Amino acid sequence: MSLDDLTSWLLKEGINVEVDALTRRTVRTELDNLVEDPEGDAAPIDWSRLLFAGSILARSKERAHQEAALRIATGAVTLGNSQPVNDAGAVLLGKLSNFRAVALANDRNLLEYDLEGRLGLALRMEVQRRQIEQSVLVESSGRWIQVNDFQQRFWENANSHSWLSASAPTASGKTFLVLQWLIDHMRSESTKVAVYLAPTRALVSEIESNLAALLGKAGDMEVSSLPLREKYGAATAGGKKLILVFTQERLHLLANVLGKDVNVDLLIVDEAHKIGDNQRGVILQDAIERVERANSALKVVFISPATQNPEELLADAPVDAKVAAVDSDSPTVIQNLIIAQQAPRKPQLWDLSLRHGEALLPIGRLSLASTPGGVSKKIAFIAAAVGERGGTLVYANKAGQAEEIAALISQLIPPMGGQDEELSELADLARKGVHPNFALASLVEKGVAFHYGNMPSLIRLEVERLFRSGKIRFLVCTSTLIEGVNLSCRTIVVRGPRKGVGHPMEPHDFWNLAGRAGRWGDEFQGNIICIDPDDANAWPTGVPVRSRYPIQRESDAVLESRDGIIGYLGQRLDTPLVEIADTGKYEQVGAYLLATYLRLGSISHASFAKRHSPQTIAELDGRLGAIAGQIEIGPDIAERHPGVSALGLQQLLDALRAYEKDIENLMPAKVESQDSYDRFVTIMRRINENLFPAFQPDGIIPLHALIVVQWLQGYSLAAMIRKNIDYHKKYNKPYKLPQLIRDTMELVEQIARFRAPKYLSAYMDILYLHLREIGREDLIEDDLDIGTQLEFGVSSVTLLSLMELGLSRMTAVTLYEKIARDDLTKESCRAWVAERNAQFEGMDIPAIIVREIREKLLPLAEGDEASSPSQ
Amino acid sequence: MPAQPFNLGELKFPKKGDAVAYLNVMLHKYDVGDKVNSEDSKILVAALGRHPEGEEKIGCGVESFSVRTADFGTKCFWINRTDGSTEKFAHRACVYGKVRPA
Repeated sequence: MSLDDLTSWLLKEGINVEVDALTRRTVRTELDNLVEDPEGDAAPIDWSRLLFAGSILARSKERAHQEAALRIATGAVTLGNSQPVNDAGAVLLGKLSNFRAVALANDRNLLEYDLEGRLGLALRMEVQRRQIEQSVLVESSGRWIQVNDFQQRFWENANSHSWLSASAPTASGKTFLVLQWLIDHMRSESTKVAVYLAPTRALVSEIESNLAALLGKAGDMEVSSLPLREKYGAATAGGKKLILVFTQERLHLLANVLGKDVNVDLLIVDEAHKIGDNQRGVILQDAIERVERANSALKVVFISPATQNPEELLADAPVDAKVAAVDSDSPTVIQNLIIAQQAPRKPQLWDLSLRHGEALLPIGRLSLASTPGGVSKKIAFIAAAVGERGGTLVYANKAGQAEEIAALISQLIPPMGGQDEELSELADLARKGVHPNFALASLVEKGVAFHYGNMPSLIRLEVERLFRSGKIRFLVCTSTLIEGVNLSCRTIVVRGPRKGVGHPMEPHDFWNLAGRAGRWGDEFQGNIICIDPDDANAWPTGVPVRSRYPIQRESDAVLESRDGIIGYLGQRLDTPLVEIADTGKYEQVGAYLLATYLRLGSISHASFAKRHSPQTIAELDGRLGAIAGQIEIGPDIAERHPGVSALGLQQLLDALRAYEKDIENLMPAKVESQDSYDRFVTIMRRINENLFPAFQPDGIIPLHALIVVQWLQGYSLAAMIRKNIDYHKKYNKPYKLPQLIRDTMELVEQIARFRAPKYLSAYMDILYLHLREIGREDLIEDDLDIGTQLEFGVSSVTLLSLMELGLSRMTAVTLYEKIARDDLTKESCRAWVAERNAQFEGMDIPAIIVREIREKLLPLAEGDEASSPSQ
Repeated sequence: MPAQPFNLGELKFPKKGDAVAYLNVMLHKYDVGDKVNSEDSKILVAALGRHPEGEEKIGCGVESFSVRTADFGTKCFWINRTDGSTEKFAHRACVYGKVRPA
């Protein structure tokens, strides 16, 4: 009998009954408010038999076998009632290289002191050998850190290869390790500038603050998320090394500012599977290729959650690049997928069963405090009951529903004893930073919160921090979480999850979410509770079976549609955009293909061509050639505006050339000026008509222009919400406060910070091109690019300085309200803060904002050292 | 009653309605946010002279004219004064002498 046969037999027949009994016991310890089952909980377990089987299963590479071994080890450590059983469980965890679980067992006093001393000589030598083998050397500090198998392979391959693609499930310690490696690499190699790409602003701020925490205040390198020349210039000139944390759009902004000078040494692409996302995937691909064109010796590291084919991302590496894919499917924590079904005729009782393999294992019956009516109540009541001890994440399909569920949960859970200072500070920030009646404020005081993408980052990060620390016990969130916020939990409660507006979640998205259950090193197990699994509306294809992402570039998917994109490009030349179907699907990739064609003269020379049939490429070349014949603007200007079609840019240029009135009317007015709002209205109309229908419907333009002006004027979110309420009152328009707050946040994030910068910066480029053509360079101002101004919501030097110093916009704006001058440099801002340090408490500024000001702007205090970020 | 001719500076109109129509065309030639060109500005200065509240509207003096948003999604002419302040005015009032249509 081979090892494979033996392990398979063990699981199927040898110990299956015992493992089931153990599983039932361990899972029950995780769930609150179960109806008691004294008999089942007291059944004896034959530990020596199970542990022996576990040590055999640990040698298998198969996920199911490793899971069973992990379950046995965890059970022995947590449920075993004798020291030898606990010890043996810890040794088995060691065999699984699960050092964090061993550390957790020690932290919880589940193991008696000096485990190694109790082991026999042979076992002790084995443990020591394993510890040496399973660690990596941080070269810059000479320190060894203990790692699991995946982390070790990542570290070795990242050092020895120039293009690396690493994939492992959530909770494998990817981000923590990559950040460690990044810092070590920056310190020990000649790398001057590294860019860390993350798909969302939420993840950008999280990575930026994690890096800052790892480096400490006396950081020997700079970390920034602003696409500005200054720090880049200093780093390339031999000054402090620089890590830039960007979205793909911001990397393009930096490349636009630097032009031909852009030279990045190391590029890390986090959540790299999102290269397949509709509309933004191709912008990411374009950003990677753009940086690589500028530096063929670029080192690239891709990171993705459990993907099927991480090597796909290496397909476009230069031919001489040394490439490697590192892949792992090993579990680090046990993840219990539990389905919850209402007991027949008893709406307050819910039967929970664990799904493993094809089978369902009954776990117990959950008792709810009240009878749930309606979907939100069902989710809220079950979450409040099953996850009462906290660390409970609830998935809601929309921001409004998240608020509703959070409000329900807050009424059901036991009250907290007394006021917590950190929660009170967060409530104060929500009241002052958003609105006095913003629902989040009163909820966090009860240890409940909600979380969605359009929230200001300072509030969102504090919510995440307090959830991690356990003070926020329930967090209700939307799909921002699967868009890449590194937040794990103990229990996830979910019913019929959708991604975005209405689309049922794909299995890999579901598992990316579910993978967040189980905090490696903080918990032994994670639980995913799926409500109403048989309801076809909630789960059209049932609760998804565990699956891994297939990586496919958005551009490749569109090219594979063949007739779709060929037809689109055929129509694009002479059909108004509003009349073409599927613009959302094809416009961005179409723009990418056209820019590639303009640069190379034929897309057959592009790297992606090898993945598609020569006929498709030839036909596309034909269509692109016909369009290119109409285009005078060069490839450089097309490259600067990814996702914006060169054809649109040309049509805009034609419109500007045909403009007969005073040319100055084409310029935006300074935001302080009275013309500013109206100018933006007209420019947005001009963009809609000639470049791309970006601000639709037409009637919404005044609102979009107003938001853009307020945002650029440095209004706080709270002020924008107040203005919006005043407007509704003035014109007697009915409104609902929670909705109005969410809408204003959405306008800021989606219009002012995303769509407006994309299209307005294209407009400005074409306008300047036109001004140069007609000899009116005198009108060209060398100001900060409008795209950057909008992304950060700044127009004054002082505000920009504050944000360059690392403050969030909310903090920068709050501080700016107190600063009289609008032209302060970074040093003057620091000096201003240092002079008034003692007075902040009397200024009615929320404590969290004061804390950020002091952390970022005050000089290093004695004894300040690097701290550990969340892992 | 026969139509009375109406003058705006050097421009002569057979009747008031024609003057209003002329100013309407002028207004709609501009996009919101545009500055009014110098030729049209001369006519607007003359028009303001006949506005019932012309003097207050002009205030410290006219630096330029703009077309900007008025209430309810419409647009109108605005005076940009030399002190940086700004105020809108209804061109119909310059012709009919009433601040608001009766």
